[in-house]
Amino acid sequence: MFKMMLEKLLSKKWMSLCLFAGILLLAATAVSFPMYRSEAFDRMLREEFRNYVSSEGRWPAVNSLVLISKKDAGGKSIVRAEELMGELCGMLEVTPLETIYYYSLAKEEARSLMNRDDLGKVSLRLGFLSGLPEHAKMLAGEMYSGEGVSEDGCLEAVISQSCMVESDLLIGETIEFPDLETPEGKPVRVRITGVFGEAGENDFYWQKKPDEMTLDCLVEEKAFREYFTGDRAGKNIITVSCYSMFAYEDLKAGQTEKLAQVTDWLTQESPYRHVVEEPAYREILEVYEGKRMRIQATLFLLQIPVLALLGAFLFMISGQMYDMERSDISVMKSRGASRGQILRLYFYQSCFLTVLGTAGGLPLGAAFAGALGSARSFLEFDLQKGTWPGADAFCSKETFLYGAAAMGACILIMTLPAVRHSKISIVSLKRQKAAKKRSWWEICFLDVICLAVALYGYYTWTRNGGNVAESVLKGEAMEPLQYMGSSLFIVGLGLGALRLQPLLLGAVYALGRRFWGPASYISFMENNKNGRKQQFIMIFLIMAVSLGMFHATAARTILENALENRAYLDGADYIVKEVWEDNSGLMNGEAEAEFRYYEPDFDKYARLEGISSYTKVVYDPKAYVELEGNRRQNMVLMGIHTKQFGESTKMPPGLTEKHYYEYLNELALQPDGVLASADLRDVCGYRVGDVITYCDGRKNKAKGKIVDFFTYWPGYVPSVLERNPDGSVSRQLRSMVVAPIDTLVTKWGTVPYEVWMKAEDSGDGREFYRWVDQEEVRLVRYVDRGADLEAVIVDPLLQGTNGILTMGFLVVIVLCGVGYLIYWILSIRSREMLFGILRAGGMHKGEIFHILLNEQIFCGGYSVAAGILIGSLTCRLFVPILQNAYTAADQVLPLRLITEEGDMVRLYGVVGAVLALCLLVLLGLVRKLNVAKALKMGEE
Amino acid sequence: MKPAIEISHVSRRFSVAGGEFWALKDVTVTIPEGILAILKGRSGSGKTTLLNIIGALDAPSEGTVRIDGREIGGLTERQRDDLHRRQMGFVFQAVSLIPSLNAYQNVEFSLRMAGIREGRKRRAEECLKLVGLGNRMTHMPAQMSGGEQQRVAIARAMAHKPRILLADEPTAELDSAMAAEVTRLFAQLAEKEKVTVVMTTHDLGLMDAGSMVIELENGEQR
Repeated sequence: MFKMMLEKLLSKKWMSLCLFAGILLLAATAVSFPMYRSEAFDRMLREEFRNYVSSEGRWPAVNSLVLISKKDAGGKSIVRAEELMGELCGMLEVTPLETIYYYSLAKEEARSLMNRDDLGKVSLRLGFLSGLPEHAKMLAGEMYSGEGVSEDGCLEAVISQSCMVESDLLIGETIEFPDLETPEGKPVRVRITGVFGEAGENDFYWQKKPDEMTLDCLVEEKAFREYFTGDRAGKNIITVSCYSMFAYEDLKAGQTEKLAQVTDWLTQESPYRHVVEEPAYREILEVYEGKRMRIQATLFLLQIPVLALLGAFLFMISGQMYDMERSDISVMKSRGASRGQILRLYFYQSCFLTVLGTAGGLPLGAAFAGALGSARSFLEFDLQKGTWPGADAFCSKETFLYGAAAMGACILIMTLPAVRHSKISIVSLKRQKAAKKRSWWEICFLDVICLAVALYGYYTWTRNGGNVAESVLKGEAMEPLQYMGSSLFIVGLGLGALRLQPLLLGAVYALGRRFWGPASYISFMENNKNGRKQQFIMIFLIMAVSLGMFHATAARTILENALENRAYLDGADYIVKEVWEDNSGLMNGEAEAEFRYYEPDFDKYARLEGISSYTKVVYDPKAYVELEGNRRQNMVLMGIHTKQFGESTKMPPGLTEKHYYEYLNELALQPDGVLASADLRDVCGYRVGDVITYCDGRKNKAKGKIVDFFTYWPGYVPSVLERNPDGSVSRQLRSMVVAPIDTLVTKWGTVPYEVWMKAEDSGDGREFYRWVDQEEVRLVRYVDRGADLEAVIVDPLLQGTNGILTMGFLVVIVLCGVGYLIYWILSIRSREMLFGILRAGGMHKGEIFHILLNEQIFCGGYSVAAGILIGSLTCRLFVPILQNAYTAADQVLPLRLITEEGDMVRLYGVVGAVLALCLLVLLGLVRKLNVAKALKMGEE
Repeated sequence: MKPAIEISHVSRRFSVAGGEFWALKDVTVTIPEGILAILKGRSGSGKTTLLNIIGALDAPSEGTVRIDGREIGGLTERQRDDLHRRQMGFVFQAVSLIPSLNAYQNVEFSLRMAGIREGRKRRAEECLKLVGLGNRMTHMPAQMSGGEQQRVAIARAMAHKPRILLADEPTAELDSAMAAEVTRLFAQLAEKEKVTVVMTTHDLGLMDAGSMVIELENGEQR
């Protein structure tokens, strides 16, 4: 039977190749998803950790416990805690970095042994911090020695600068703790050998900063243990803090489950649950998990139409194959083959092709995943910047699962129709050929049902449109019905178009009945008779075109809106806010001294390359406007140089009534004027010409006459989503006042400012960071718009969406082309006899071509036209819904539907090319048409 | 009588695996206008090949064919198509109806092809009645038996009143009474409408109806 199957496949090599290609694409698409996902999620996890580090300035990947040993006999609980910390990273299955132990005794009275009149008694905590010599630098004196005990029996200790100031100790000073005993039973004496500080900046070793260690007197670890732990632990109260740090950079998405599990056990069930602190990474994991679920659900939904279309393609091609083999099947049956045997033959064939296709689909899927990971926007990949799935993604459980599911689906799709076809005998075959019946979907009104469901989805969305904000803040995935709505809508309208086609053609035929030549007459009649056979390829074409349009528009809209919003929120290409020193430290509470800032060197901005212009901008988010009755309206105060500000910023066009330069011009004319955000007009009731009193964060006051109101402004956030105490979410308006910076300086003296910059188009962004390093700029805040936009592009949700939509689009186009071509070639082959008859009757080759051209127009042309119509309608209705799922909480710009002409040109180009290629093939077939041979075929 | 078909020294060679095969060897016949000529011979004797060559569906390897004095080898494809459309009618051995058209439409279509604008309906019905299918005009080919289909094909071949009607085993699927009837129809057509009918058959009982019998054996004229 295997040989028979192979022969059968080889005899129809084009069909077999098509099936193979279909399976290949289906398998590749299916496995690319988990492959991409695992890579993207790894990346996302890393991002989450990094974001935490940069916003909180602490190392999140750390477990800590604090144990207070009260008269701990033999120090057993300490030993057990230390053991646990040693094993913890192994239990969590993470890469350990460093485990830090910080022991300290309770605060004890001490007195100096030096004869000093100013120092009476001090309270200090004796303790040790493991690894201190490696992470500290000595500001004065030196580190304790290796033994930790001096020759005269004193413990050597180091203290922080703040401790030194607080306790007024000196280097070299010896102090005595009368209540602490050495192992020999004498009072403990400690000699201060030095003052320590942090060795490097941003060293996460410092769980507690040296500045905070105002009472700590740190001694050498071994000495401390010998003096106060073990057998001697019962004598003192020791606070033991352990920090077990691990690396997060190599943390994989697959590890999070175990990590969360063990952490849960540790904090909730383990014997240490009372002493273990809630680790910071748990919140990160929760946020990550929420995002992951959302992305996974969304991307999965996005894939469904493509997978369904691939399935439909397989179904169509295998259906064609069955049609071609119908007579073979009936002959086999008439020669005594049982139905089971025929089913088995087709089952083996499906399995054979599926195994072959899936084997090829795995590497292709990896390539797809790589392409997904390098998607920059719709139909745009940057393979160099992209990330490719690693070897572990290949053999992950998920990949295997998806691959197996794809295989099962393929086998099922290809074998199931055999059940129906295997029933055929020669007699029923003839009968079937004669019958002309309505399609099943026409009878059960599938088109109407699909449309109804889709429109219901649309309706519920428009009705609940107000709750979008809530679902966005909660990070909910989009509702399946809402997304599937678009697909159902396309299918419903597509089927409706199929229903309409014969009626439309009938009308056209009837209208021109007198004018149609023989060729047109035959085309109409053929379509009338065989039109139903084309329905599948027609719906395929309609779906391909409209899904293509929908995908293109959705992808563009989602990404462009996100990018535009990010660009708007950033305000400028680069923003630098430096550390501003002031004289508050020197004033010592003397009220009469005047507070002043020390302005950082501004000339260094001239040395920054790749910048076309820059300007000082006062940006004070703690400012407010004084309202009547002692009330305040919080707002952001912005002070600008109108001309330079215009040169250094940009805004997307169309946001405000007039160009924002015009507002700048108005402000430039009135040094005492201010521009105000529209909510001050709409909510607080101000009018143009009103004078307002505004104050900065230091309560400096100024008056300004409102020149105009704006709705959008570079860097202005008109509203934010906020969670109310009752858990609901609402949009809160934000205010802003823009005043000339010179006015502010004249009135208030030096005001700290940021520098807003516009990059040259050619800049690559690296100059900026080089400059920051070179000039040793101390940043409080900075904005790098390029980097922010890049982050939006590679955001796993957006990138995955772009990638999947693009891949889906390409797959659909390929399928559509191949499917259409195959369909027509087969359709013509099967009708060669007809053309032979027509040729023998004297029909010119041109007329035969005319018939085929007509059929193309009736089938292909009609489908493409319907697809375009349906596609644009679907975009208009459903893209906003889809966009919804992607709207970030900080979306402030109005959402726009974005269609890029280039995409449509590409789509139409590809479809046009397919149709043209089809015509070319037809032309070739017609030319080769051999009347005598064609008629001979009829004889057989 | 004026010659309608002049066949002179026609040979047809096919390349087959391992050499050449002569389907026709040096056939020379002249068929006068308005007669029923019968091509006789066993299967494989070259009847269909000769018929295809007369009908300009196939070209001879050697020799010439003239129709009404005009050599058809020199015709352009367009002229040949016009010849088929207006001056010739074919009835093929195998069923040769257009499957998407019913019996009436099939006949009417040949009138359309011949560019006849007026009276198509009357003529098509007349021809179908002539072959005894007046009551089956709206049936689709798939709904008719082989014999019925063959009769529709005959009606179609003669509907546009061709100068020459070529029929390849038109009676093969018919019972003997019907076969005799069809042959009589052809003879009548030849006599009354001055149509030159060439028909192949291996049915010896039909030979009498023809006013001329050409016998082929292994591609050679006997």
